[in-house]
Amino acid sequence: MTGAGMVLTALERENVEVIFGYPGGANLPIYQRLPEHPSLRHVLVRHEQGAAHMADGYARATGKPGVVFATSGPGALNLVTGLATAFMDSVPMVAITGQVNTSVVGRDAFQESDVIGCTLPVTKHSYLVTRVEDIAPAIRKAFHLATTGRPGPVLVDICKDVQQASGVFEYPEELALPGYRPALEPDLSAVALAARKLAEAERPVLLVGHGVLLSCAEAELLELAEKTGIPVGTTLLGIGAFPTEHPLSLHMTGFMGTGWCLRAVQNADLLMMVGMRVDDRVTAKLDEWAPRAETFIHVDIDHSEMGKNVRPHIEVVADAKRALRALLPLVEPPPRSRRAWLTQIDAWREEHPLRYRRSNGHLQPQDVLIEMYKRCRSEAIVVADVGQNQIWAALWWRYTQPGLFINSGGAGTMGFALPAALGVKVGRPDKAVWCVAGEGGFVMTSQEMSTAVEQNLDVKVVLLNNFSLGMVRQFQDDFYGGVRSQVDLTVMPDFLKLAEAYGWQAARVERAEDVSAAFDAAEHTPGPFLIDFRIDPEANVYPIVPLGKGLDHFREEPYDI
Amino acid sequence: MTSDGRVRVLSLMVEDHPGVLERVASQIRRRGFNIHSLTVGPVGGGRSRMTVTVDAGHAEVDQVAKQVDKLIEVIEVEDITDDPIVSRELVVARVDVPEHARDAFLGRVSRFGGRVVDALNGSLVVELSATPDQVDGFLELLRPYGLSELARSGPVAMRRSSHK
Repeated sequence: MTGAGMVLTALERENVEVIFGYPGGANLPIYQRLPEHPSLRHVLVRHEQGAAHMADGYARATGKPGVVFATSGPGALNLVTGLATAFMDSVPMVAITGQVNTSVVGRDAFQESDVIGCTLPVTKHSYLVTRVEDIAPAIRKAFHLATTGRPGPVLVDICKDVQQASGVFEYPEELALPGYRPALEPDLSAVALAARKLAEAERPVLLVGHGVLLSCAEAELLELAEKTGIPVGTTLLGIGAFPTEHPLSLHMTGFMGTGWCLRAVQNADLLMMVGMRVDDRVTAKLDEWAPRAETFIHVDIDHSEMGKNVRPHIEVVADAKRALRALLPLVEPPPRSRRAWLTQIDAWREEHPLRYRRSNGHLQPQDVLIEMYKRCRSEAIVVADVGQNQIWAALWWRYTQPGLFINSGGAGTMGFALPAALGVKVGRPDKAVWCVAGEGGFVMTSQEMSTAVEQNLDVKVVLLNNFSLGMVRQFQDDFYGGVRSQVDLTVMPDFLKLAEAYGWQAARVERAEDVSAAFDAAEHTPGPFLIDFRIDPEANVYPIVPLGKGLDHFREEPYDI
Repeated sequence: MTSDGRVRVLSLMVEDHPGVLERVASQIRRRGFNIHSLTVGPVGGGRSRMTVTVDAGHAEVDQVAKQVDKLIEVIEVEDITDDPIVSRELVVARVDVPEHARDAFLGRVSRFGGRVVDALNGSLVVELSATPDQVDGFLELLRPYGLSELARSGPVAMRRSSHK
């Protein structure tokens, strides 16, 4: 068997269904063999970055690793942003890149670049394969590493002559990874201590992140919250881990989180963080974060998260689901004194509701999103881009069922949403998929509209078009002296014509009263559909904490409802 | 160690693979820490020992150690700064000793535990293997005699006993 055949056979062994890729000089041997493996569906993208984001969306929606092919040099380098996006958000991916022949590695050959070096800080691990007998073990290890412990992208760079060499295919059972021992089971004494502290706390808050979704611990989280009566806030990536409509929901935390969640965090005497990194977007000014908390409990599968940003009093290094399962039998119903805390939170919820201006004659993004979520019926998958559209989509999330909200949280990669939504649809053809994006991010990867048509992917794009880089404009207005610099996007393609050029259906909406009809059209039209919502160009994201300030300083929408 | 107390010594057992050094160095660098010195050598069984001294405080080095431990090919990481350790550094130095001072010089080098490994045209190459502090002292001794070139290995270290 050739090395190329081994690559594809190994993917079959890993039960891979789909590859997102792009051929080129250094992976031609693999593409030559691809038709001999009909079980491997290949999605031909229009740019390698699109492949990485599609694989990422596929992985987030299915829980299975996303697989990417790219050629050497520029092909592989185009993956870097997508790998970084997956790495920051702990998404399992395996990228297989072609490399120049072993005889010319290091000699600046045509389309050569040091892909291992370039991707070192944005991959969980990587392998350079220079011998045909190393192909199968490298791919086996890559899938194991990508999908276990804290998931992440793994890259396998295979020299072209190795793809063409012949050998015997043996898929190893045993993995020689002596330095890899992901912690899965919690330390029970730490869990018992956590249970005691939870029972003693007067003002406890649970904050949960992507780790809860990655370990499928939503049910355990709900049970914990209901059994203990402890309110739950989520990070941006944790949205979907806890039902927003639940009476114990604090909704989203962080520097664009809800007012009642931020009040709860700032007044809590105990914070238990589960499956999250406690990054700067969650804490805002770290010195002023949770000033009244006497106990921090941190549950995370990654030991290095303990004390990276906040030093916990109780560390539980474990898979979130297993940690919560171990905790559940030990926790107690809320003490009577807890009632006052929940009453206080209810008062903050009344005092700081999410609100937006409605009466200035412009279409508001919230008008659009509220209608969209109504139509999602807690079933569709929503993929957001980065910027104001992302935070609006997060804050107005109104799912009663834990569900999937997908976005690039850690890396904040503009252009993520469209290709990621296509990957979601490939993985979950049974689900309606809505892609929410601003016009700035959308045009960064809009070439993948062709991929949608070619693959017959029925994705609906909700374009929140405000003719500007809205988040940057808002920051300039509020934090950079009001100097609007290079944020104007009035010169853009006519999105109806762009849609037509790509073979999509489309509609344009400028008034709130036309929103519903446009959604009707999108839902009733088979195939990809884009709605160009021309929203209030001055609409802002609120609440927001001024840059460099603590969470207490959050600002709210200044306009009356 | 030879420093203001911020330098911490990490002892790493790693898989002896190409690129492991780059991964370790990159991980420490990108987490915002400065490598003071780093030595690496194979110890058999497909493994290498690295001794890394990092410019970081006590609390910070815990984070460095965890970040390095996260690397797939790193098998074990220990902060051995505060343990009883055996730490050795090799230095070789070229000294242009005038003829009349040669006997006195050789006597002092030998009392320090150093030795001459090469002599050519009035220039002597001496070596010493000792603790990093002693190496510093040795170099102070050499300077007045005309120290013209030197190379230090950086320390290699391990615990005195095999268990913590």
